[in-house]
This record gives sequence, C-alpha cells and structure tokens, in this order.
Amino acid sequence: MERMGERRRQPQMKELVVEASRALARLDADRLEELALSCQALNRALPPASPEDGRALVAEARDAAGEMAVFARVLEATRANISVMNRLRELRAGRVEYGGQPGVRCFRTESGHGDN
Amino acid sequence: MGTISSAFSLMSQALDADQAALNIVANNVANANTTGYTEETATWSENQPIRIDGVSYGAGATETGATSLRDSVLEARLDQQQQLASASSSRLTALDSIQALFTPDSGSSTSTAGDISTDITSFFSSLSKLEASPTNVSDRQAVLAAAKTLAGDISSAASSLNTQKTSLDEEAAGTTSQVNSLTSAIAQLNQQIQSSSPTSDAGTLEDQRDEDVSKLSQLVGINQVTTENNGLSITTTSGQLLVSEGTSYQLTTGTVDGVTDFFVGNTNITSQLATGGGSLGGYLTARDVDIPNTLSSLDQLAYSLSTAVNTQNNAGTDLDGDNGNAGDIFSASTQVAGSAAAMSVVMTDPNHIAAAGSGDGTGDSSNATAMADLANQSIVNGETPTNFYSNFVSALGSTVSGVETENTAQSASVTQLQTQISSLSGVNLNDEASSMTTLERSYQAASQVFSMLNTIMASALNLGDQTTVA
Repeated sequence: MERMGERRRQPQMKELVVEASRALARLDADRLEELALSCQALNRALPPASPEDGRALVAEARDAAGEMAVFARVLEATRANISVMNRLRELRAGRVEYGGQPGVRCFRTESGHGDN
Repeated sequence: MGTISSAFSLMSQALDADQAALNIVANNVANANTTGYTEETATWSENQPIRIDGVSYGAGATETGATSLRDSVLEARLDQQQQLASASSSRLTALDSIQALFTPDSGSSTSTAGDISTDITSFFSSLSKLEASPTNVSDRQAVLAAAKTLAGDISSAASSLNTQKTSLDEEAAGTTSQVNSLTSAIAQLNQQIQSSSPTSDAGTLEDQRDEDVSKLSQLVGINQVTTENNGLSITTTSGQLLVSEGTSYQLTTGTVDGVTDFFVGNTNITSQLATGGGSLGGYLTARDVDIPNTLSSLDQLAYSLSTAVNTQNNAGTDLDGDNGNAGDIFSASTQVAGSAAAMSVVMTDPNHIAAAGSGDGTGDSSNATAMADLANQSIVNGETPTNFYSNFVSALGSTVSGVETENTAQSASVTQLQTQISSLSGVNLNDEASSMTTLERSYQAASQVFSMLNTIMASALNLGDQTTVA
C-alpha cells in the first residue's frame, strides 16, 4: 500500500526553475526561501541512487536548460532593479543630489537586459 | 492675546486641517483604480503660536496642499524596462509567425513551406530512382513532380515572408500617428505644468504626463530629461528630440527602397528606432533584420540548388539524345537575391531530363547518379542542401528562443518594478525600508536557488563529476 509521501509527485527540475522565476518576478521572498530549502534537500540527495535515476536527472537537467537561462536573466534584472532602488533610497535619505536640478532622468536603454 | 476665541480658532483650524487631509485621502481612495493616478499626501505647515498670559501655546497646523508620492527614478526605470519588454514582445510575435512557416504541419495533406526538408529528400530520391530505370517516363515525371513541389514550397515560403514584411511595415507605419499624438499631448501638458506648478508637483497633470510618457516608451525607445520649472524634454534613445518642453517634433514617414522609413525633420532615424526599443523597435528589427536574414538563407538554398541541378542536367544526355544541351530543370537566377521567390520548374517535357552521361547512350544513367549525388555534396554555402536547411531552421529556432528568454525576463522585471511602485505609494521611509528588505531577501533567496540548481545541473550534465555543494 502506498504511503502519503510516496503518492506526492516529485516536481521536475524545470517546474522548480519556472516557479523560482515567477516567485522572483512577484518578489515572493517566502516562497523563494522555501524553494532554496527544497534545492538544498535535492542537492543533498545527490548522487542518484541508480543509473536509471542518473539518466532521468540528466534528462531533467537538459530539459530545464532554457528555463535556467530565463531565471538567470530575471536575476540579472532584479539586481539592476535593486541598484535603482538603492539609488532611490539614497535620494530619499538626502545622501545624493538627484532630480532636484534639471538633468537626465532616464538611463539609456540597456543592451537587452538590465545590468545598470 | 489669550482669549477663549483663540482656543476656538486653534480647534477650528485643526478640524479644518483634518478635514482637508481627509479630502485628500478620499481622493486617493476614489482614484485607487485610476490608471496612472499617483497617490497624494497632505502637506502641513505649523501655525504661529498663540501667547496666553505670557505662555506660548502651539497653534496647530494648517493643511497647505497635496504632494504626489512620485518616484521619478523608479518610474523612469519602469518606462525603460517597459520599452525593452515591448520591443522583444512585438519582435517575438513576428518571429513566431516566421517560425510557424517552417514548422511541418502533420495534419495537412498539401505540401507547405514546413515540408521543405522532406521536399529536398524526395527530389533527390526521385533522381536515385531514375538511376535504375533511366528511360522510364513515369519515373521521369516523378522527378519533375518532386521538383515542382520543392520549388513551390520554397517560393511560397518566400512569398509568405514578403507578405509578413509588408504587414510589419504597415504596423510600424501605423505607430507614427500614436507617437505624434502622445508627443503633442506631452508638450501641451508641459506648458500647463510649467505655468501652473513651476516649483511644485502638479498632481493630476503630472500623472497624465507620466501616463503619456509611459505609453510613448512602449511605442519607441526614449530618454527623458527634466528641465527647469517642472518641464520635461524627450529624445529618442539615439538623441533625436521628440519633445522640448512645450514643443513637439513630429515623426514622419517616407518610402525608401520599398519600405517605410521614419524621419524627424529631414533626418532618417529608422535604424536608430530599430535598436532603440518599444514596439516600433521590435517591428523594425523583425522587418529589417529577421525577415531579410530568413529570406537570404532561403534565396541561397534556392539559388545554389537550382544552379547545381541545372548545371548537372546540362552536362548529360537526355532521352531525345541532346548531349550537353538538355536545358534547365529549375528557373535560372542570375543572382542570389530573389531566387527563392522566383524559383519554379521550367522543364515541361520529362524526356529532357539528362539521365545519361555525356556521349553515352540514352539508356545510360550515370548523369542521373551524378544529379542524385548532389544531395551529399556541399553545394549550398559549403553544406549539403539538407544540412544547410536544417541549420537554418535551427538558427531561426535559436533566435526565437533567445528573444523569448529576453522577453520573459523583461516582463518579470516590469512586474517587480510595478510591485515596488505600488508598495511604495503609501510611502514613508519605514515602508520603503521594508520594501527594500523584501526585494533584497527575494534576490538573495533566488540567488541561492539558482546557485544550487546550477550545481545540480552541472553535476548531472557532467555525469557526476561534481555532486554536492559543500
């Protein structure tokens, strides 16, 4: 007879990556921290117990490559957004002069992704 | 002067001030769902103190107006990310249509551009079959039928690409009127803001201007420059002025080499707009880069394949005994450009297929063998026809995938910024610190997730070279 834990479906790596990208877009820190714990557990479970599991893991990793590229880009954009927010915070705290005088208000368009 | 009326006056002012503040809150609530509305907060000034019997009493506060909680840095960043997301989104839509053209439709009984790979194989297979029976008329007819299917699918793909190019051209040209009406509106708002609120936030007028700037940035890539007295100038990302305070500069169009080009004054800014962002940038990139690249590959395939097959046919002997003069199977192009659209089968008589070698009898099949062997020779830009086509389709898929990745990431970034803007709209420094904490916590947790997944994937792909994180 199956136990509860065994019936629960093991999420594919691709699904984990997609969910992480979505959670980061929504700035859902709680969910991301849960995902980080899941990944730690997944990492501890390596190497795979059998050659079949190993082959399945390789297939999952290949399948998730595109989603990892998206995740990497979202991370980059987030880092850029943090840097903008930090500038804004400094501005509010009055540590830098910005916007009070006429000047450029918008940065130049980036070369395809956020990194300024 | 200490009097009861002073005390009443103080209380009355406090009530008036509270009422005015409540009106501002009510206005915020009423506009909670108004697109582009920026929340306002009451500003207060302390009243002169009242002296009663030599003792100074505070005289409360008077509400002096409302200030919009505007984060120009954050809004500028949002506009910037939106213009990138708009560009990749419109380009992706065009690329998806191009890719769909080269995707085999298993449910269709008629041959389409998606079947070009199969067409190439079928054409050379029909020539292989002719090797065994060089005088068989039905096998000769099969060669011409396969050639017609191949030429038809290549020319129809080119025709569809040209139709898509025309459609993108029309969409790009249609954007001009929207850009012009927005820049005119922004210039008018600039005039109103500069005359009514040169030194303070202009509330709804600034909301309207921000909204128009946001819409404009989704159409074209722009830079915003704040000017004196609350004014705003806007340039394209390449620096061409679109709005200078109260004046707007119209974008005009003209036909150059059969497509619409874009001008400000006499300056042609088409290529700058293509790389600048916004949906117009996406349309122009698809029109001027993606479709020409795809057509160029298709032209190369059509030209090289036709030339090689025609040359080989004219090197053999046909069923009528013509030696070295059997004629072309495919229409002969003099240049690569336009070869795909013009590709057709010009041979009508199957007897003119030169299956026999030069000087050999009509029952010989050595030239049919040579023609069939072209399938395995590097006759298209150093590749076999099938490999060239397959690499071209893979490269197209890779471009689509790259733009898809960019678009997903840019949309995620836009979502983050919108979340930040809405969480900061009831702003105070504590809220802002809390908002930043969430942003940084999310980033740190996501970095951990990424790092671990990356390690796991590397371990998997390296077949267990690396297994766990220390």
